[in-house]
Amino acid sequence: MLRLIYLRNNLIRNRLRTLLTCAAVALPIMIYVLSMAVVDGVERFLDNSARQLRLAVTHKTSLVNPLPEGYRRKIESLDPERKGITSVCGMRWLGGKIANDPRPLQTMAIDADTFVATFPEYRLTPEEVAAWQRDRQALVVGRATAAQFGWKVGDRVTIRGSVPPYAPMEFHIISTAERAEDPITLGCRRDYLEEKLKECGYPYGLVSFFFVKCATKADVDRYRVAIDQLFARSPDETRTQDEKAFMSEFVTQQFDLPRRLTILAAVTVFVAVMAAANTMSMNFRDRISEIATLKSMGFGGTFVFTQIQAESLLLCLVGGAVGAWVPYFAFTWTPLKDYTVPVIQVLLIRPAVCMQALVISLLIGIVAAVWPSWAALRLKVVAAMRSLE
Amino acid sequence: MALPLRYNWRNLFVRKLSTMLTFIVVAAVVLVLSVLLSFAAGIRASLAVSGCPENVIVLKPGATSESTSVIFPDEVNRIVQAPGIARDASGRLLVSQELCVQATLPRRDNPGAVANVAVRGVDDIGFELHKGVRLVEGRRFRPGALEVVVGKAAHDRYAGLGLGDEVLLGRLRNRRFKVVGVFESGGSALESEIWAPRTSVADSYLRVFCSSALIRLADAGLVPAAIAYINGPAVNLDAKRETDYYKDLSTKTREIVVLTTILVGIMAVGAAFAVANTMYAAVDGRRREIAMLRTIGFSRGAIVVAFLVESLLICTAACLFGLLLSLLIHGSRQDYLSDATWTVLAFELKVTPTTMLVSLSLAAFVALAGALAPAVRASKTNVIEALRKA
Repeated sequence: MLRLIYLRNNLIRNRLRTLLTCAAVALPIMIYVLSMAVVDGVERFLDNSARQLRLAVTHKTSLVNPLPEGYRRKIESLDPERKGITSVCGMRWLGGKIANDPRPLQTMAIDADTFVATFPEYRLTPEEVAAWQRDRQALVVGRATAAQFGWKVGDRVTIRGSVPPYAPMEFHIISTAERAEDPITLGCRRDYLEEKLKECGYPYGLVSFFFVKCATKADVDRYRVAIDQLFARSPDETRTQDEKAFMSEFVTQQFDLPRRLTILAAVTVFVAVMAAANTMSMNFRDRISEIATLKSMGFGGTFVFTQIQAESLLLCLVGGAVGAWVPYFAFTWTPLKDYTVPVIQVLLIRPAVCMQALVISLLIGIVAAVWPSWAALRLKVVAAMRSLE
Repeated sequence: MALPLRYNWRNLFVRKLSTMLTFIVVAAVVLVLSVLLSFAAGIRASLAVSGCPENVIVLKPGATSESTSVIFPDEVNRIVQAPGIARDASGRLLVSQELCVQATLPRRDNPGAVANVAVRGVDDIGFELHKGVRLVEGRRFRPGALEVVVGKAAHDRYAGLGLGDEVLLGRLRNRRFKVVGVFESGGSALESEIWAPRTSVADSYLRVFCSSALIRLADAGLVPAAIAYINGPAVNLDAKRETDYYKDLSTKTREIVVLTTILVGIMAVGAAFAVANTMYAAVDGRRREIAMLRTIGFSRGAIVVAFLVESLLICTAACLFGLLLSLLIHGSRQDYLSDATWTVLAFELKVTPTTMLVSLSLAAFVALAGALAPAVRASKTNVIEALRKA
């Protein structure tokens, strides 16, 4: 009890200093939480890819080279009974923009019949699936994109693709994929795109990549090799990777965001340590005589040591809690939650990241108090008392 | 009368640890700021020098970059009708049809990793239109040969692009192109590319049509008319100034700048709190001294200024140190994958004078914001009370 009262009084005896230190810890922790949320987002994105047991089949020499759509039948023929390969889905990148708006869209033209089976994480309702299958102009819009453009189910939108046929195409929004993992991408039917390509006289029957959904992890490994063997020495050889490897290539090429943000997070934690250490050493200096008195009264070295550690821990924990809570609140409950970030799309701050930040702030507290508490432990009472005025 | 600077300077060393910790905090913030800014500056510098004001680039409407655009020969025939196109000395129209494809090449510093490098098929006339392009080693490719010239940045960053090396290109990566030259273009985006004869590229990549057309007008004043002609019903394509095209490609830079501002802003406020903390401690520890100064005739203003100067001294020194550290990365080459062209763009990190100025003003802001309240408190010290405590 005595310890707690002493701790409390210590923290409020210089309220301003306590407040400033909390803020100086809270702000770097905030940056830590924000940058780690991005890193975490990338990892979650990749983990989802890994969980889905999908293979991505692309052209061997470059991602931008298309593959013939007929490859789908050949891949399917590897497993006629559909035991290992559940479904194969071809996709073609369309990109696109709407008229008079510079914001680019990520539209993919997807094989209509196998989309739902291959990408169960879109979690379309049975009605939406029915609409998707019925309407050739169906469009599934990610919820963040829908929010940005103010679109809702039932709207008609005209998108002009960034690749052939470059023509304006009208779509009917049948779903805003509220429960999908991916809140950005727009999915339309590939048969509609094919029709448009033929109409405008562009080469058709080509896809950018195939996604192959497998039944088990063993099948993923087996067909990864088997598919490439199937097309070996053909005009268009393939490169098959599991989806996680395929996606992480995208992520690292774009500024290598995870690595850079981790460095930034480390620097900010370092800054927080320095700021907290500064306070603790100032506290120690101000209280040298007090500590000497305590010791001379018979309070052991452990008492002063733990007292200083506890003060520092509490200080940093409060700062850390504020620093973690503010971005959590901002990106969970305010309009900021629809803010989209390159690569990882929507910034979702998970409680796990906040917990991590709290642990880090505890560590900051410990490190910041190392020198003062050690010095207090070793303080020679006689020497300290002698220097008293 | 103001207090001598020497007083402030010596005061910094009274509380060595505090001063040092504050110094480190500010230096770290400045370091982060200048690194982030130099990224943005590097990209911007590379895209800013790309393009020439008399040039107009023509793409298919809807295409976001050269690599997603396709232009048919009949469209080229209509483009050349545009008014005001310049001619070279031998009377050829300055119109360059270009074909943009890509090659996946291993990186020089990390051979396990690959990069998507832009390959541009150009005719001889292309060298006339891309004014800044200048060969620094070797020679130009011969038309129709399996030869390439490589940009300096590409040559430095990707493996197998030395003079005399052979590089595998083509849709099936089965054509051996010989590197016969290295070119420079004042640090522009073109330096990240590989250039080859258009016909060889078309043949190797099974591409019949070109991606874009570049035209040179006789005078920059003729540009709007030519753009209007091409965008209009006569040609019906999407023409824009070459400089604008590269400006649009730099949207990513703006994202970086916005992100940088937010992050560094938060960090700067945190640093200001740390500085305030230190300065408050300095004030508290020197009550008697301040009272003494006031007694011997220094005004309140002089005291405020003294503390502000002290804080400025720490922060400026820290800022200079942070900048010095960031100079270590100055000039190092980085690249990023442009989301518009889907190819890598190499750039040099640049710690520009602007970056330095911004860092200095940030440090000054942190110093003043952090020290103002403590300094005012110091100036309000009750002289009699503080002296009596002695």
